Amino acid sequence: MHEAGIAQNLIEAVQQRLVNEPGARVAAIHVRVGELSGVSTDALDFAFECLAASTPLSGARLVFDPVPLVVACDACGQESPVEDLVFRCGVCGSERTRIVSGRELEVRTLELEDETEVAHARD
Amino acid sequence: MHEIDVKAGLLAPNDAVARENRHLLAEHGIYAVNLMSAPGSGKTSLLERVLPALAVHHRVGVVEGDIVGSCDKDRLDRFGGPVHQINTGAACHLDARMVHHVLHHLAEDGCDVVVIENVGNLVCPAEFDLGEDDAVMLLSVTEGHDKPKKYPLMFRRADLVVVNKVDLLDRTDFDPRAAALAVHDVHPGVAIVSTSCRTGEGVGDVVAWLERRIAAKHAARPASSGVEAR
Repeated sequence: MHEAGIAQNLIEAVQQRLVNEPGARVAAIHVRVGELSGVSTDALDFAFECLAASTPLSGARLVFDPVPLVVACDACGQESPVEDLVFRCGVCGSERTRIVSGRELEVRTLELEDETEVAHARD
Repeated sequence: MHEIDVKAGLLAPNDAVARENRHLLAEHGIYAVNLMSAPGSGKTSLLERVLPALAVHHRVGVVEGDIVGSCDKDRLDRFGGPVHQINTGAACHLDARMVHHVLHHLAEDGCDVVVIENVGNLVCPAEFDLGEDDAVMLLSVTEGHDKPKKYPLMFRRADLVVVNKVDLLDRTDFDPRAAALAVHDVHPGVAIVSTSCRTGEGVGDVVAWLERRIAAKHAARPASSGVEAR
């Protein structure tokens, strides 16, 4: 239920980045979403569409890049995917694991239309 | 078409304030615990038992998070320490900014322990770091033993899991062993204690756990931290 706040953070982060790209038009925003980020991508998409409508980001697509849940083991040093929400090491069974990926929730890259493309689009 | 990098965390604004909170707590040698659970699991009932025990040795401040009203604050006011109500309006969780100014008040008030009772919700509070030292979560037997696999982020976040309302075990199908296995699948090694706020069973274990954590935090405080003595 807080995807609206996250969408607002996303819009602000992108606009801040665009300060150095005057006149840029954003075609797509790539967002890394970890399996355990706790965010609904459908809800985030919807919130973004509503909130971006009154900004220069209106019309930009959100592209979600899922990030799998992986733990690293402090006992054997190996990394293994988390399956069925079992966070023990998939290699040696140890309980001493740390999440190394799967919590991500970040804007990674922007696809910008080049000025010539924008000019053509206007013609 | 060309691509540019951004690399901005979408919870970064909250995490930045949480870092400020953590700094404030460290500066004043305050231990803070974030208490989370579904609505009706017994957070306030547990605090009614735990706060008087902690208040014997500490100046304890409470942050009470609710969507509306002050029912819980009214109950906790009886323990005698400062209790600050935060009404979130519609928000389903506390965030770092909401608790920031209250932490300042409690620090000025001389508190060395802060207990934050979050909004009852197993989903959203798990994502918002408040800057606390520990997260304690309650799972009551009436909710069922399958909850860890349904709300993994919350159980993953917890430093202590309290299985509450064990006085109702023989009235429900709750299987404590299955619950412990599910908790440890999601969060291997996390401490689990069983309590009943009606009978008082296990409450001493929660107090003892908190006292150990408080002692560790206070011991870690540098002797000359540059903070003026209160």
